[in-house]
Amino acid sequence: MTGGRPVALVGGATTRFGVRAATWSQLVQEAGARLFAAIPNLAASDVDSLFVGAAEPERFAFQSHVAPLAAELLGLEPHRIVQRTELACASGQSAIRSAYAAISAGLSDVAVALGVEKMNLPSMAEANTSMACVMDRPWDGAHGATAPPFFAMVAQRHMLEHGTTEDQLAAVSEKNHRFANSNPDAQFHEKSFSREKLLRLPLIAPPLRLGDCSSMTDGAAAVLLVSGELARKYTDTPAWIRGSGQHASWHNLANAGSLTEWTGMRIAAREALGSAGITVDQLDFAELHDCFTISEIVEYEALGLCDPGKGGAYVADGRSDLGGDIVVNPRGGLLGCGHPLGATGVAQAVEVYRQFTHTVPPARQVPDPEWALVHNLSGSANVHSMMVYARGG
Amino acid sequence: MPAVAVAKRRAKKRAPKRAEAALPKIELRAEPTAPPPKKPATLTLLDFFPQEESQQTRVARFFTELRAGRFMTTRCAKDKKLLWPPRVTCPQCHTEELEWVELPQRGHLYAFSALLAGAPLGMEDELPITVGLVDLEGAPLRLFGRLVGAPWNEIRVGERVRVEPYDLPDGRVFYRFHVESRSVEKPT
Ligand SMILES: [Zn+2]
Repeated sequence: MTGGRPVALVGGATTRFGVRAATWSQLVQEAGARLFAAIPNLAASDVDSLFVGAAEPERFAFQSHVAPLAAELLGLEPHRIVQRTELACASGQSAIRSAYAAISAGLSDVAVALGVEKMNLPSMAEANTSMACVMDRPWDGAHGATAPPFFAMVAQRHMLEHGTTEDQLAAVSEKNHRFANSNPDAQFHEKSFSREKLLRLPLIAPPLRLGDCSSMTDGAAAVLLVSGELARKYTDTPAWIRGSGQHASWHNLANAGSLTEWTGMRIAAREALGSAGITVDQLDFAELHDCFTISEIVEYEALGLCDPGKGGAYVADGRSDLGGDIVVNPRGGLLGCGHPLGATGVAQAVEVYRQFTHTVPPARQVPDPEWALVHNLSGSANVHSMMVYARGG
Repeated sequence: MPAVAVAKRRAKKRAPKRAEAALPKIELRAEPTAPPPKKPATLTLLDFFPQEESQQTRVARFFTELRAGRFMTTRCAKDKKLLWPPRVTCPQCHTEELEWVELPQRGHLYAFSALLAGAPLGMEDELPITVGLVDLEGAPLRLFGRLVGAPWNEIRVGERVRVEPYDLPDGRVFYRFHVESRSVEKPT
Protein backbone atom coordinates (compact mmCIF):
# COMPACT_ATOMS: atom_id res chain seq x y z
CA MET A 1 0.00 0.00 0.00
CA THR A 2 1.39 3.36 -0.95
CA GLY A 3 1.23 6.17 1.58
CA GLY A 4 -1.33 8.93 1.37
CA ARG A 5 -5.11 9.03 1.26
CA PRO A 6 -7.18 6.27 -0.38
CA VAL A 7 -8.26 7.18 -3.91
CA ALA A 8 -11.42 5.82 -5.53
CA LEU A 9 -12.46 5.60 -9.16
CA VAL A 10 -16.20 6.20 -9.00
CA GLY A 11 -17.26 6.06 -12.63
CA GLY A 12 -16.33 6.80 -16.18
CA ALA A 13 -17.34 6.73 -19.80
CA THR A 14 -15.93 6.58 -23.28
CA THR A 15 -17.04 7.89 -26.63
CA ARG A 16 -17.46 5.52 -29.51
CA PHE A 17 -13.99 4.77 -30.88
CA GLY A 18 -13.28 4.65 -34.60
CA VAL A 19 -12.88 6.82 -37.66
CA ARG A 20 -15.16 9.49 -36.31
CA ALA A 21 -16.85 12.35 -38.16
CA ALA A 22 -16.00 14.56 -35.19
CA THR A 23 -13.27 17.03 -34.26
CA TRP A 24 -10.91 16.87 -31.26
CA SER A 25 -13.15 19.28 -29.33
CA GLN A 26 -16.29 17.36 -30.19
CA LEU A 27 -14.79 14.11 -28.92
CA VAL A 28 -13.99 15.87 -25.63
CA GLN A 29 -17.56 17.13 -25.43
CA GLU A 30 -18.97 13.64 -26.02
CA ALA A 31 -16.77 12.12 -23.31
CA GLY A 32 -17.79 14.87 -20.90
CA ALA A 33 -21.51 14.42 -21.55
CA ARG A 34 -21.20 10.65 -21.11
CA LEU A 35 -19.21 11.09 -17.88
CA PHE A 36 -21.90 13.28 -16.34
CA ALA A 37 -24.59 10.87 -17.57
CA ALA A 38 -22.74 7.94 -16.00
CA ILE A 39 -22.40 9.67 -12.62
CA PRO A 40 -25.77 11.31 -11.87
CA ASN A 41 -24.60 12.80 -8.57
CA LEU A 42 -21.66 14.61 -10.14
CA ALA A 43 -21.96 18.39 -10.30
CA ALA A 44 -19.45 20.38 -12.34
CA SER A 45 -18.80 22.58 -9.31
CA ASP A 46 -17.58 19.49 -7.36
CA VAL A 47 -14.57 19.12 -9.63
CA ASP A 48 -11.50 20.90 -8.26
CA SER A 49 -8.94 19.50 -10.71
CA LEU A 50 -8.73 18.42 -14.35
CA PHE A 51 -6.04 16.33 -16.01
CA VAL A 52 -6.17 15.97 -19.79
CA GLY A 53 -4.20 13.13 -21.35
CA ALA A 54 -3.44 14.07 -24.94
CA ALA A 55 -0.40 12.79 -26.81
CA GLU A 56 -0.09 15.12 -29.77
CA PRO A 57 -2.88 17.68 -30.03
CA GLU A 58 -0.36 20.10 -31.58
CA ARG A 59 0.04 17.79 -34.53
CA PHE A 60 -3.31 16.00 -34.74
CA ALA A 61 -5.49 19.02 -34.00
CA PHE A 62 -2.98 21.92 -34.26
CA GLN A 63 -3.95 22.91 -30.75
CA SER A 64 -1.89 23.55 -27.64
CA HIS A 65 -3.04 24.59 -24.16
CA VAL A 66 -5.71 21.94 -24.31
CA ALA A 67 -6.53 21.54 -20.61
CA PRO A 68 -8.36 24.87 -20.32
CA LEU A 69 -10.12 24.12 -23.60
CA ALA A 70 -11.37 20.83 -22.16
CA ALA A 71 -12.41 22.62 -18.95
CA GLU A 72 -14.47 25.06 -20.99
CA LEU A 73 -16.09 22.26 -23.00
CA LEU A 74 -17.04 20.31 -19.86
CA GLY A 75 -18.21 23.38 -18.00
CA LEU A 76 -15.55 22.92 -15.32
CA GLU A 77 -13.76 25.60 -13.36
CA PRO A 78 -10.90 23.69 -11.74
CA HIS A 79 -9.37 25.75 -8.95
CA ARG A 80 -6.64 23.41 -7.69
CA ILE A 81 -4.86 21.70 -10.58
CA VAL A 82 -5.50 21.96 -14.31
CA GLN A 83 -2.97 20.48 -16.71
CA ARG A 84 -2.33 18.29 -19.70
CA THR A 85 -0.34 15.07 -19.33
CA GLU A 86 1.73 13.75 -22.23
CA LEU A 87 3.41 10.36 -22.38
CA ALA A 88 2.68 9.34 -25.96
CA CYS A 89 0.61 6.13 -25.91
CA ALA A 90 0.37 6.30 -22.09
CA SER A 91 -0.87 9.90 -21.90
CA GLY A 92 -4.27 8.77 -20.60
CA GLN A 93 -2.86 6.71 -17.77
CA SER A 94 -0.62 9.67 -17.00
CA ALA A 95 -3.71 11.78 -16.44
CA ILE A 96 -5.10 9.18 -14.04
CA ARG A 97 -1.78 8.76 -12.23
CA SER A 98 -1.48 12.54 -11.83
CA ALA A 99 -5.02 12.79 -10.44
CA TYR A 100 -4.27 9.84 -8.15
CA ALA A 101 -1.10 11.52 -6.90
CA ALA A 102 -2.87 14.81 -6.30
CA ILE A 103 -5.77 13.27 -4.40
CA SER A 104 -3.53 10.93 -2.47
CA ALA A 105 -1.41 13.89 -1.38
CA GLY A 106 -4.44 15.92 -0.33
CA LEU A 107 -4.01 18.51 -3.08
CA SER A 108 -7.28 17.54 -4.76
CA ASP A 109 -10.52 15.93 -3.60
CA VAL A 110 -12.47 15.50 -6.83
CA ALA A 111 -10.62 15.24 -10.14
CA VAL A 112 -11.60 14.42 -13.71
CA ALA A 113 -9.03 12.55 -15.79
CA LEU A 114 -9.90 12.80 -19.45
CA GLY A 115 -8.03 11.28 -22.36
CA VAL A 116 -8.48 12.13 -26.01
CA GLU A 117 -6.91 11.79 -29.44
CA LYS A 118 -8.13 12.71 -32.92
CA MET A 119 -5.88 10.73 -35.25
CA ASN A 120 -7.76 10.43 -38.52
CA LEU A 121 -6.89 13.46 -40.59
CA PRO A 122 -7.56 14.38 -44.23
CA SER A 123 -3.94 13.37 -44.89
CA MET A 124 -2.97 10.14 -43.15
CA ALA A 125 0.65 10.88 -44.10
CA GLU A 126 0.38 13.80 -41.71
CA ALA A 127 -0.87 11.44 -39.00
CA ASN A 128 1.94 8.99 -39.72
CA THR A 129 4.42 11.85 -39.37
CA SER A 130 3.08 12.50 -35.90
CA MET A 131 3.67 8.87 -34.98
CA ALA A 132 7.27 9.07 -36.18
CA CYS A 133 8.15 11.91 -33.81
CA VAL A 134 7.36 9.75 -30.77
CA MET A 135 10.75 8.09 -31.22
CA ASP A 136 14.05 10.00 -31.03
CA ARG A 137 13.01 12.14 -33.99
CA PRO A 138 16.31 13.39 -35.52
CA TRP A 139 18.26 10.14 -35.00
CA ASP A 140 15.65 7.35 -35.24
CA GLY A 141 12.51 8.98 -36.68
CA ALA A 142 14.53 10.43 -39.55
CA HIS A 143 15.17 6.90 -40.83
CA GLY A 144 11.42 6.37 -41.08
CA ALA A 145 10.90 4.80 -37.65
CA THR A 146 7.24 4.46 -36.90
CA ALA A 147 5.79 1.92 -34.49
CA PRO A 148 5.02 -0.96 -36.91
CA PRO A 149 8.61 -1.66 -38.05
CA PHE A 150 9.88 -1.39 -34.48
CA PHE A 151 7.39 -3.91 -33.09
CA ALA A 152 7.94 -6.04 -36.20
CA MET A 153 11.58 -6.32 -35.14
CA VAL A 154 10.43 -7.38 -31.67
CA ALA A 155 8.31 -10.07 -33.33
CA GLN A 156 11.17 -11.13 -35.59
CA ARG A 157 13.55 -11.55 -32.64
CA HIS A 158 10.90 -13.33 -30.56
CA MET A 159 10.29 -15.78 -33.39
CA LEU A 160 14.03 -16.28 -33.85
CA GLU A 161 14.85 -16.71 -30.17
CA HIS A 162 11.74 -18.55 -28.97
CA GLY A 163 10.04 -20.04 -32.01
CA THR A 164 6.94 -17.87 -31.67
CA THR A 165 4.67 -18.27 -34.70
CA GLU A 166 2.41 -16.09 -36.82
CA ASP A 167 -0.45 -18.30 -35.69
CA GLN A 168 0.26 -17.41 -32.05
CA LEU A 169 0.28 -13.72 -32.98
CA ALA A 170 -3.08 -14.23 -34.64
CA ALA A 171 -4.40 -15.88 -31.47
CA VAL A 172 -3.94 -12.56 -29.62
CA SER A 173 -5.76 -10.66 -32.35
CA GLU A 174 -8.60 -13.20 -32.56
CA LYS A 175 -9.19 -13.07 -28.78
CA ASN A 176 -9.17 -9.29 -28.52
CA HIS A 177 -11.33 -8.78 -31.59
CA ARG A 178 -13.80 -11.33 -30.18
CA PHE A 179 -14.03 -9.35 -26.93
CA ALA A 180 -14.46 -6.14 -28.93
CA ASN A 181 -17.52 -7.68 -30.51
CA SER A 182 -19.32 -7.25 -27.20
CA ASN A 183 -18.09 -3.68 -26.75
CA PRO A 184 -20.35 -1.30 -28.69
CA ASP A 185 -17.81 1.54 -28.35
CA ALA A 186 -15.02 -0.49 -29.99
CA GLN A 187 -13.74 0.47 -33.43
CA PHE A 188 -14.11 -3.17 -34.57
CA HIS A 189 -17.45 -3.86 -32.93
CA GLU A 190 -19.46 -6.42 -34.91
CA LYS A 191 -16.50 -7.46 -37.02
CA SER A 192 -15.20 -10.96 -36.52
CA PHE A 193 -11.71 -12.14 -37.32
CA SER A 194 -10.86 -15.82 -37.40
CA ARG A 195 -7.19 -16.80 -37.17
CA GLU A 196 -7.39 -17.96 -40.79
CA LYS A 197 -8.78 -14.61 -41.92
CA LEU A 198 -6.17 -12.71 -39.87
CA LEU A 199 -3.34 -14.69 -41.48
CA ARG A 200 -4.57 -13.67 -44.93
CA LEU A 201 -4.60 -9.93 -44.21
CA PRO A 202 -1.88 -7.87 -45.94
CA LEU A 203 1.54 -7.38 -44.37
CA ILE A 204 2.10 -3.95 -42.85
CA ALA A 205 5.61 -4.48 -41.48
CA PRO A 206 6.70 -8.10 -41.86
CA PRO A 207 6.07 -10.31 -39.99
CA LEU A 208 3.20 -8.13 -38.72
CA ARG A 209 -0.01 -8.06 -40.73
CA LEU A 210 -2.88 -5.60 -40.61
CA GLY A 211 -4.62 -7.65 -37.91
CA ASP A 212 -1.48 -7.53 -35.72
CA CYS A 213 -1.55 -3.73 -35.53
CA SER A 214 -3.85 -1.43 -33.57
CA SER A 215 -5.47 1.33 -35.58
CA MET A 216 -5.29 5.07 -35.92
CA THR A 217 -8.42 5.90 -33.98
CA ASP A 218 -10.47 8.88 -32.85
CA GLY A 219 -11.91 8.74 -29.37
CA ALA A 220 -12.08 10.12 -25.86
CA ALA A 221 -12.76 8.79 -22.38
CA ALA A 222 -13.13 10.26 -18.92
CA VAL A 223 -13.14 9.00 -15.33
CA LEU A 224 -13.88 10.59 -12.00
CA LEU A 225 -11.39 10.07 -9.17
CA VAL A 226 -12.18 11.17 -5.62
CA SER A 227 -10.72 10.93 -2.16
CA GLY A 228 -11.93 7.87 -0.26
CA GLU A 229 -14.33 9.62 2.09
CA LEU A 230 -16.22 11.16 -0.86
CA ALA A 231 -16.59 7.94 -2.84
CA ARG A 232 -20.07 7.01 -1.56
CA LYS A 233 -21.47 10.30 -2.76
CA TYR A 234 -21.01 9.08 -6.32
CA THR A 235 -21.28 5.29 -6.22
CA ASP A 236 -21.95 2.32 -3.98
CA THR A 237 -19.29 0.35 -5.81
CA PRO A 238 -16.03 2.31 -6.02
CA ALA A 239 -12.89 0.83 -7.53
CA TRP A 240 -9.82 1.58 -5.42
CA ILE A 241 -6.40 2.45 -6.77
CA ARG A 242 -4.10 0.22 -4.74
CA GLY A 243 -0.82 0.31 -6.61
CA SER A 244 1.17 2.16 -9.20
CA GLY A 245 4.48 1.66 -10.95
CA GLN A 246 6.31 3.18 -13.86
CA HIS A 247 9.70 2.80 -15.45
CA ALA A 248 11.80 4.67 -18.02
CA SER A 249 15.50 4.55 -18.74
CA TRP A 250 16.20 5.07 -22.44
CA HIS A 251 14.75 6.67 -25.55
CA ASN A 252 17.07 6.28 -28.53
CA LEU A 253 16.84 2.74 -29.92
CA ALA A 254 20.62 2.36 -29.63
CA ASN A 255 20.19 2.26 -25.88
CA ALA A 256 17.37 -0.28 -25.90
CA GLY A 257 19.12 -3.52 -25.01
CA SER A 258 17.07 -6.66 -25.64
CA LEU A 259 14.02 -6.28 -27.85
CA THR A 260 12.31 -9.31 -26.38
CA GLU A 261 12.92 -8.94 -22.64
CA TRP A 262 11.14 -5.89 -21.36
CA THR A 263 13.01 -5.47 -18.10
CA GLY A 264 11.46 -2.05 -17.57
CA MET A 265 8.03 -3.66 -17.47
CA ARG A 266 9.27 -6.17 -14.89
CA ILE A 267 10.43 -3.29 -12.71
CA ALA A 268 7.15 -1.38 -13.14
CA ALA A 269 5.20 -4.57 -12.31
CA ARG A 270 7.25 -5.24 -9.19
CA GLU A 271 6.56 -1.67 -8.09
CA ALA A 272 2.84 -1.74 -8.95
CA LEU A 273 2.06 -5.17 -7.50
CA GLY A 274 4.37 -4.57 -4.55
CA SER A 275 2.70 -1.29 -3.65
CA ALA A 276 -0.69 -3.06 -3.86
CA GLY A 277 0.64 -5.88 -1.70
CA ILE A 278 -0.42 -8.62 -4.10
CA THR A 279 1.21 -11.12 -6.41
CA VAL A 280 0.52 -11.51 -10.12
CA ASP A 281 -1.55 -14.67 -9.63
CA GLN A 282 -4.08 -12.70 -7.57
CA LEU A 283 -5.06 -10.64 -10.62
CA ASP A 284 -8.42 -11.57 -12.14
CA PHE A 285 -7.92 -9.59 -15.31
CA ALA A 286 -5.48 -7.21 -16.90
CA GLU A 287 -5.72 -4.52 -19.51
CA LEU A 288 -2.36 -4.94 -21.25
CA HIS A 289 -1.13 -2.59 -23.96
CA ASP A 290 -1.67 -4.67 -27.12
CA CYS A 291 -0.65 -1.98 -29.60
CA PHE A 292 0.61 -4.97 -31.58
CA THR A 293 -0.06 -8.68 -31.05
CA ILE A 294 3.60 -9.28 -30.20
CA SER A 295 3.38 -6.66 -27.44
CA GLU A 296 0.78 -8.67 -25.53
CA ILE A 297 2.90 -11.82 -25.85
CA VAL A 298 6.04 -10.13 -24.49
CA GLU A 299 3.93 -8.53 -21.75
CA TYR A 300 2.70 -11.93 -20.44
CA GLU A 301 6.35 -12.78 -19.94
CA ALA A 302 7.43 -9.46 -18.43
CA LEU A 303 4.47 -9.47 -16.05
CA GLY A 304 5.46 -12.92 -14.89
CA LEU A 305 2.35 -14.74 -16.13
CA CYS A 306 4.58 -17.22 -17.92
CA ASP A 307 8.26 -17.98 -18.45
CA PRO A 308 10.32 -15.90 -20.89
CA GLY A 309 9.71 -17.07 -24.43
CA LYS A 310 6.47 -18.89 -23.59
CA GLY A 311 4.04 -16.03 -24.30
CA GLY A 312 3.01 -17.40 -27.69
CA ALA A 313 1.97 -20.75 -26.24
CA TYR A 314 0.30 -18.95 -23.32
CA VAL A 315 -2.22 -17.22 -25.58
CA ALA A 316 -2.61 -20.13 -28.00
CA ASP A 317 -3.51 -22.40 -25.06
CA GLY A 318 -6.26 -20.00 -23.98
CA ARG A 319 -4.63 -19.11 -20.66
CA SER A 320 -5.27 -15.36 -21.15
CA ASP A 321 -8.88 -15.92 -22.26
CA LEU A 322 -12.11 -16.31 -20.31
CA GLY A 323 -11.77 -19.58 -18.45
CA GLY A 324 -7.97 -19.32 -18.39
CA ASP A 325 -5.50 -18.22 -15.69
CA ILE A 326 -6.29 -14.51 -16.14
CA VAL A 327 -8.42 -12.62 -18.63
CA VAL A 328 -6.32 -10.22 -20.69
CA ASN A 329 -8.02 -7.35 -22.47
CA PRO A 330 -11.71 -8.19 -21.98
CA ARG A 331 -12.50 -4.67 -23.25
CA GLY A 332 -11.24 -5.74 -26.66
CA GLY A 333 -7.77 -4.29 -26.28
CA LEU A 334 -6.18 -1.72 -28.50
CA LEU A 335 -6.46 -4.21 -31.34
CA GLY A 336 -10.24 -4.44 -31.10
CA CYS A 337 -11.12 -1.01 -29.72
CA GLY A 338 -8.60 1.04 -31.68
CA HIS A 339 -5.90 3.15 -30.07
CA PRO A 340 -6.63 6.86 -29.73
CA LEU A 341 -3.36 7.50 -27.86
CA GLY A 342 -4.52 9.77 -25.06
CA ALA A 343 -7.88 8.03 -24.63
CA THR A 344 -6.66 4.45 -24.37
CA GLY A 345 -5.37 4.49 -20.79
CA VAL A 346 -8.55 6.16 -19.54
CA ALA A 347 -10.79 3.75 -21.48
CA GLN A 348 -8.94 0.83 -19.86
CA ALA A 349 -9.76 2.30 -16.43
CA VAL A 350 -13.41 2.64 -17.47
CA GLU A 351 -13.35 -1.08 -18.30
CA VAL A 352 -11.97 -1.84 -14.82
CA TYR A 353 -14.87 0.01 -13.23
CA ARG A 354 -17.41 -1.71 -15.48
CA GLN A 355 -15.96 -5.17 -14.87
CA PHE A 356 -16.00 -4.61 -11.11
CA THR A 357 -19.63 -3.44 -11.27
CA HIS A 358 -20.72 -6.23 -13.65
CA THR A 359 -22.02 -3.75 -16.21
CA VAL A 360 -20.46 -5.28 -19.33
CA PRO A 361 -22.14 -7.84 -21.62
CA PRO A 362 -21.78 -11.45 -20.40
CA ALA A 363 -19.55 -12.34 -23.36
CA ARG A 364 -16.72 -10.31 -21.84
CA GLN A 365 -17.61 -10.30 -18.14
CA VAL A 366 -14.78 -11.63 -15.98
CA PRO A 367 -16.33 -13.83 -13.26
CA ASP A 368 -16.47 -11.94 -9.96
CA PRO A 369 -13.27 -9.90 -10.40
CA GLU A 370 -11.52 -8.42 -7.36
CA TRP A 371 -8.12 -7.33 -8.66
CA ALA A 372 -7.21 -5.75 -11.97
CA LEU A 373 -4.05 -4.35 -13.51
CA VAL A 374 -3.85 -1.71 -16.23
CA HIS A 375 -0.67 -1.42 -18.29
CA ASN A 376 0.42 0.96 -20.99
CA LEU A 377 3.68 0.97 -22.79
CA SER A 378 4.68 4.05 -24.71
CA GLY A 379 7.00 4.79 -27.60
CA SER A 380 9.20 1.82 -28.44
CA ALA A 381 8.21 0.03 -25.21
CA ASN A 382 10.81 2.19 -23.47
CA VAL A 383 8.30 3.31 -20.84
CA HIS A 384 5.92 1.08 -18.90
CA SER A 385 3.11 2.49 -16.79
CA MET A 386 0.96 0.37 -14.50
CA MET A 387 -1.84 0.75 -12.02
CA VAL A 388 -3.50 -1.82 -9.80
CA TYR A 389 -7.19 -1.58 -8.88
CA ALA A 390 -9.20 -3.42 -6.26
CA ARG A 391 -12.95 -3.80 -6.18
CA GLY A 392 -14.57 -2.02 -3.28
CA GLY A 393 -17.47 -3.28 -1.22
CA MET B 1 14.82 59.23 -52.59
CA PRO B 2 16.22 62.56 -53.86
CA ALA B 3 19.28 62.40 -56.06
CA VAL B 4 21.36 64.48 -53.64
CA ALA B 5 20.86 61.99 -50.84
CA VAL B 6 21.89 59.12 -53.09
CA ALA B 7 25.07 60.92 -54.06
CA LYS B 8 25.89 61.59 -50.41
CA ARG B 9 25.36 57.95 -49.53
CA ARG B 10 27.72 56.86 -52.34
CA ALA B 11 30.36 59.26 -51.10
CA LYS B 12 29.98 57.83 -47.60
CA LYS B 13 30.39 54.30 -48.90
CA ARG B 14 33.71 55.08 -50.52
CA ALA B 15 35.00 56.95 -47.49
CA PRO B 16 36.19 53.99 -45.31
CA LYS B 17 39.22 53.42 -47.59
CA ARG B 18 41.37 55.68 -45.44
CA ALA B 19 40.25 53.85 -42.30
CA GLU B 20 41.05 50.49 -43.87
CA ALA B 21 44.57 51.60 -44.68
CA ALA B 22 45.03 52.64 -41.08
CA LEU B 23 44.36 49.12 -39.76
CA PRO B 24 47.47 47.37 -38.42
CA LYS B 25 48.82 44.62 -40.61
CA ILE B 26 48.24 41.11 -39.26
CA GLU B 27 50.43 38.16 -40.20
CA LEU B 28 48.17 35.37 -41.36
CA ARG B 29 48.74 32.07 -39.65
CA ALA B 30 47.90 28.75 -41.34
CA GLU B 31 44.89 28.52 -43.59
CA PRO B 32 41.71 27.90 -41.60
CA THR B 33 41.00 24.18 -41.64
CA ALA B 34 37.29 24.41 -41.02
CA PRO B 35 35.22 23.93 -44.18
CA PRO B 36 33.70 27.12 -45.57
CA PRO B 37 30.37 27.78 -43.91
CA LYS B 38 27.50 26.51 -45.98
CA LYS B 39 24.34 28.47 -46.43
CA PRO B 40 22.09 27.37 -43.60
CA ALA B 41 19.20 25.27 -44.78
CA THR B 42 15.97 27.21 -44.85
CA LEU B 43 13.22 25.24 -43.19
CA THR B 44 9.63 26.31 -43.45
CA LEU B 45 8.67 23.60 -40.95
CA LEU B 46 10.88 21.42 -38.83
CA ASP B 47 11.38 18.13 -40.61
CA PHE B 48 12.67 14.75 -39.46
CA PHE B 49 16.34 15.35 -40.00
CA PRO B 50 18.77 16.87 -37.51
CA GLN B 51 19.72 20.52 -37.66
CA GLU B 52 23.34 20.28 -38.68
CA GLU B 53 24.82 23.76 -38.77
CA SER B 54 27.23 24.94 -36.10
CA GLN B 55 24.85 27.83 -35.41
CA GLN B 56 22.17 25.25 -34.59
CA THR B 57 23.87 22.37 -32.81
CA ARG B 58 26.94 21.63 -30.73
CA VAL B 59 27.56 18.39 -32.64
CA ALA B 60 27.90 19.92 -36.12
CA ARG B 61 31.20 18.04 -36.37
CA PHE B 62 29.30 14.75 -36.69
CA PHE B 63 27.91 16.00 -39.99
CA THR B 64 31.09 17.60 -41.37
CA GLU B 65 32.98 14.36 -40.61
CA LEU B 66 30.16 12.28 -42.10
CA ARG B 67 30.43 14.32 -45.28
CA ALA B 68 34.13 13.48 -45.32
CA GLY B 69 33.35 9.77 -44.94
CA ARG B 70 34.03 9.39 -41.22
CA PHE B 71 31.35 8.07 -38.85
CA MET B 72 31.86 9.66 -35.46
CA THR B 73 30.31 10.00 -32.07
CA THR B 74 31.29 11.41 -28.71
CA ARG B 75 32.76 9.51 -25.77
CA CYS B 76 33.15 10.56 -22.17
CA ALA B 77 36.74 11.63 -21.60
CA LYS B 78 36.55 10.55 -17.96
CA ASP B 79 34.82 7.18 -17.85
CA LYS B 80 35.11 6.43 -21.59
CA LYS B 81 31.40 5.73 -21.94
CA LEU B 82 30.57 5.63 -25.64
CA LEU B 83 27.54 7.82 -26.31
CA TRP B 84 24.89 7.63 -29.02
CA PRO B 85 23.67 9.82 -30.50
CA PRO B 86 26.57 12.29 -30.12
CA ARG B 87 25.99 14.03 -26.80
CA VAL B 88 27.49 17.12 -25.19
CA THR B 89 27.44 15.79 -21.63
CA CYS B 90 27.94 12.31 -20.18
CA PRO B 91 24.73 10.87 -18.69
CA GLN B 92 26.83 8.55 -16.51
CA CYS B 93 29.16 11.00 -14.74
CA HIS B 94 27.66 14.29 -15.97
CA THR B 95 30.90 15.79 -17.14
CA GLU B 96 31.00 18.08 -20.16
CA GLU B 97 34.44 16.75 -21.09
CA LEU B 98 33.70 14.59 -24.10
CA GLU B 99 35.96 13.53 -26.97
CA TRP B 100 35.18 12.70 -30.58
CA VAL B 101 35.90 9.12 -31.66
CA GLU B 102 35.59 7.42 -35.02
CA LEU B 103 33.22 4.45 -35.20
CA PRO B 104 33.56 1.34 -37.33
CA GLN B 105 31.44 1.50 -40.45
CA ARG B 106 30.71 -2.18 -40.78
CA GLY B 107 28.21 -4.20 -38.85
CA HIS B 108 25.62 -6.90 -39.09
CA LEU B 109 21.87 -6.92 -38.80
CA TYR B 110 20.40 -7.77 -35.41
CA ALA B 111 16.82 -7.28 -36.61
CA PHE B 112 14.99 -5.61 -39.47
CA SER B 113 11.59 -4.98 -40.97
CA ALA B 114 10.02 -2.85 -43.64
CA LEU B 115 7.13 -0.46 -43.50
CA LEU B 116 4.94 -1.43 -46.47
CA ALA B 117 2.14 1.07 -45.91
CA GLY B 118 1.58 4.22 -43.89
CA ALA B 119 4.62 6.38 -44.69
CA PRO B 120 5.18 9.74 -43.01
CA LEU B 121 4.89 12.95 -45.02
CA GLY B 122 7.70 13.32 -47.51
CA MET B 123 8.52 9.60 -47.37
CA GLU B 124 5.49 8.35 -49.32
CA ASP B 125 7.62 7.66 -52.39
CA GLU B 126 10.14 5.69 -50.34
CA LEU B 127 7.86 2.73 -49.50
CA PRO B 128 8.74 0.07 -48.65
CA ILE B 129 10.83 1.74 -45.94
CA THR B 130 13.29 -0.92 -44.87
CA VAL B 131 14.90 -0.36 -41.46
CA GLY B 132 17.00 -2.37 -39.08
CA LEU B 133 19.13 -2.50 -35.98
CA VAL B 134 22.82 -2.89 -36.74
CA ASP B 135 25.49 -4.23 -34.37
CA LEU B 136 28.63 -2.29 -35.27
CA GLU B 137 31.71 -4.49 -35.56
CA GLY B 138 34.14 -3.65 -32.80
CA ALA B 139 32.03 -1.08 -30.98
CA PRO B 140 29.38 -1.77 -28.35
CA LEU B 141 26.66 0.02 -30.31
CA ARG B 142 23.48 -1.25 -31.92
CA LEU B 143 22.24 1.51 -34.20
CA PHE B 144 18.89 1.92 -35.87
CA GLY B 145 18.79 3.03 -39.48
CA ARG B 146 17.37 2.83 -42.97
CA LEU B 147 18.56 -0.16 -45.02
CA VAL B 148 19.25 0.14 -48.74
CA GLY B 149 20.88 -2.05 -51.35
CA ALA B 150 18.57 -5.06 -51.21
CA PRO B 151 14.80 -5.60 -51.12
CA TRP B 152 13.43 -6.35 -47.67
CA ASN B 153 12.31 -9.86 -48.59
CA GLU B 154 15.85 -10.85 -49.55
CA ILE B 155 17.52 -9.59 -46.37
CA ARG B 156 18.33 -11.92 -43.47
CA VAL B 157 19.20 -11.37 -39.81
CA GLY B 158 22.99 -11.45 -39.46
CA GLU B 159 23.61 -9.90 -42.86
CA ARG B 160 26.60 -7.58 -43.18
CA VAL B 161 25.95 -3.89 -43.78
CA ARG B 162 28.04 -0.73 -43.95
CA VAL B 163 27.43 2.90 -43.10
CA GLU B 164 26.58 5.00 -46.14
CA PRO B 165 26.42 8.81 -45.97
CA TYR B 166 23.92 10.39 -48.34
CA ASP B 167 22.85 13.89 -49.31
CA LEU B 168 19.49 15.31 -48.38
CA PRO B 169 17.80 17.45 -51.05
CA ASP B 170 18.43 20.69 -49.13
CA GLY B 171 22.18 20.15 -48.78
CA ARG B 172 22.27 18.44 -45.41
CA VAL B 173 23.93 15.05 -45.04
CA PHE B 174 22.63 11.96 -43.24
CA TYR B 175 23.55 8.27 -42.99
CA ARG B 176 21.94 4.94 -43.72
CA PHE B 177 23.09 1.35 -43.93
CA HIS B 178 23.87 -0.40 -47.20
CA VAL B 179 23.44 -4.16 -47.34
CA GLU B 180 26.93 -5.26 -48.25
CA SER B 181 26.95 -8.91 -49.13
CA ARG B 182 24.90 -12.06 -49.26
CA SER B 183 27.01 -13.62 -46.52
CA VAL B 184 24.99 -14.17 -43.40
CA GLU B 185 26.63 -14.49 -40.02
CA LYS B 186 25.13 -16.80 -37.47
CA PRO B 187 22.33 -14.91 -35.70
CA THR B 188 23.11 -14.05 -32.10
ZN1 LIG C 1 31.18 10.03 -18.03
